[in-house]
Amino acid sequence: MNKTLRNPYVYLLFVLPTIGLYGLFFIYPVIQSAYYGLTDWNALTTANFIGFGNFERAFQDDDFWISVKNNMFFILFSVFLQVPLIILFSLLISGVKRLQGFYKTTVFMPSILSTSIIGILWGFMYHPSIGFFNKFLSWFGIEPIYWLSDTKWALLSILITNAWQWMGFYIVLVLAAILAIPKEINEAAEIDGATGFQRAVRITTPLIMPVISIVVMLSIAGAMRVVDIVLVMTNGGPAGATEVMASYMVNKAMKYGEYGYGTALSIMIFAIALLLTAIYQIVFARRQERVEY
Amino acid sequence: MKKKLLTTVASVVMLSSVLTACGGNNKNEASPSASASTPASNSPSESASAPASVERFDVSLRHIQIGELQKFRKAILDEVVKKSEEEVPGANFELDAVEDSFNRWTKLPAEMAAGNPPKIFDVFGGPAEGQKYARANKLLDLTPILDELGIKDKFTDTSTFNVDGKTYGLPLGASSEGWFYNKELLEANGIAVPKTLEELEAAFETLKGKGITPIAMGSQAAWVPFMLVNTLIARYAGPDIQAGVANGTRKLTEPEVVAAFAKYEEWIKKGYFTKGELGIDYTGQTNEFIAGKTAFLFDGTWRASTFSPEGVGKSLNGKVGYFAFPAVTGGKGDQTAVNYNQNNGYAFSSDVNDNEKAAIKAFIKNLYSEEYQVRGFKEDGVLPSMKVDASKLTSEDPVMKEVLANNAAAGTVFPHFDSLVAGPVNGEFEKQIQNLIAGKSNPQKAVEAIQQAQDKELAALK
Repeated sequence: MNKTLRNPYVYLLFVLPTIGLYGLFFIYPVIQSAYYGLTDWNALTTANFIGFGNFERAFQDDDFWISVKNNMFFILFSVFLQVPLIILFSLLISGVKRLQGFYKTTVFMPSILSTSIIGILWGFMYHPSIGFFNKFLSWFGIEPIYWLSDTKWALLSILITNAWQWMGFYIVLVLAAILAIPKEINEAAEIDGATGFQRAVRITTPLIMPVISIVVMLSIAGAMRVVDIVLVMTNGGPAGATEVMASYMVNKAMKYGEYGYGTALSIMIFAIALLLTAIYQIVFARRQERVEY
Repeated sequence: MKKKLLTTVASVVMLSSVLTACGGNNKNEASPSASASTPASNSPSESASAPASVERFDVSLRHIQIGELQKFRKAILDEVVKKSEEEVPGANFELDAVEDSFNRWTKLPAEMAAGNPPKIFDVFGGPAEGQKYARANKLLDLTPILDELGIKDKFTDTSTFNVDGKTYGLPLGASSEGWFYNKELLEANGIAVPKTLEELEAAFETLKGKGITPIAMGSQAAWVPFMLVNTLIARYAGPDIQAGVANGTRKLTEPEVVAAFAKYEEWIKKGYFTKGELGIDYTGQTNEFIAGKTAFLFDGTWRASTFSPEGVGKSLNGKVGYFAFPAVTGGKGDQTAVNYNQNNGYAFSSDVNDNEKAAIKAFIKNLYSEEYQVRGFKEDGVLPSMKVDASKLTSEDPVMKEVLANNAAAGTVFPHFDSLVAGPVNGEFEKQIQNLIAGKSNPQKAVEAIQQAQDKELAALK
């Protein structure tokens, strides 16, 4: 028995089934995608090899770059508006003495709802004549805003809805980190005369930086692959104003049967996502020191 | 307690799987009782005449007749399915209702790519859809079936479903596109039914001045405003423009086409369409008109049944009129021409066995008959796609009467671009129309972009 376990090939035998599955469901499709990205495959007739033709086309495709820009808006909105709000709400909820569980559940609720339901629900709230927002604005004599059908407002409307859906999930993450901080640290600061605000900014926030860093990274990754909320609420419209990379890719591949081009786009999306996450890791995440209490 | 719960759950799961298996056995035979009783029968003659046990088989049928707006068409489909099931022993049509544009742009293309389309499905003709699938050998060649049923010459036009002289799809009906108007709203505002483009525009202006939206429009899906643009182009550039652009003999950059786009842009800028149209879907557009919020609606003649006493828009019963797009001063070609489409119907998967083929044959025989063509027309305002005895095509419906009168007065007909051009060109058309609505394009830029897409397609064909 001991002899067997010393043989490295035995271990290989143990991982073989997993490697097989991994290869079949991950490696093989990736290689296949890479190949189809180099063809003009339309899923109906034989694919012809066209080299980097699809990628060249993608670089000249203005609509694709508009969708990339929209994804960047998602990232900026997530990192600079959503994350600070997440921290703020987490700090507020961690400070309440009563009904903390209720608040936690309430903020978490949207993230367990299906995106389709959220899309339809917010669609009603944004409705030009019967929607909540316009009703509210009309009390102040403000003209109705065509939230989802005006190219100026549509993306913002989706950003808000998307933020509402996912903030609760991150708040619970950050909240767990805050509650894990030993009470003594805050108590010591309080004895030293630090105000609530000072304690939040100087004690709590630095201590939860590793979790915030993860939240930022998850937000970036989430913003890169966002598509469902867009498809449900506007399907990329009005006039392409809310098109994101993934919805553009789905449309090209499915609606027009340009599977070769669609695959090439998906490879580019992957590359862009990889690049951004790598940049974030190198520039910000590595600087984080390990927090030890 | 936990253990007890686990045991209960396990037994329920086991029991249900056993029962499901039993159910499955029953389902595979159409008449198990008949087959079981046959050997027990005493009289030999009786046993010989008893129906033999027939293997039950499913035939998947994808249709788009969903919701209140399509209820008449769904009733016809149900009847046809019932008849066909009775005629073909063992056939069980499995109806799968999918929303039109989702079926057209997402589900069916994906199924075609994966090689598993339903056996019978709703499809649009033209190079972007039906003909593309036919060329890829995904569709059943219907020519022998039509010959056998003797209905080959009964169809008025199957050209958008034809490839190399063979027919791969059958149009369910035909339609024209024109103006529906709310008689009450027009009367209340002292507007006579417009006879010329100038009168029509004057009507828009009057309504706008009184705070009424002139035209109901839901441009969330671009095919909806495309209907109006298609007709505008034909009025300005002549009824042969669609075919000309498709075969490369004419260009969308011709000044007449630009003028048509310019007119459309002018109407957008003057605010003649529903506000926020890019966020309104097709149903929303119909609802705007039914609610009496708008006076005009540019739509297909299939919409006529909506205003019947049983239709969704019954509140407007007897209060809706119809007229073809008026003549344009200086417009090229026949100004009485109307749009006429026979581009939507059923096609069938090429991957079928003999049983399924028999079911398909029965389905075609039953659906494509004079009876249903006439009923489709009377109940639902669908114009016939087959040669039907003209004396039977009378309608008591006031809107349909006007449709018929308008079409009878037409010198010629013109098709829709989407039945003649390839997918990417159609896509560019739709994109440019929406961009025009959003103020992100102009007529010249729009036609150049579409023509460029068409040039690319034509070059690829050479």
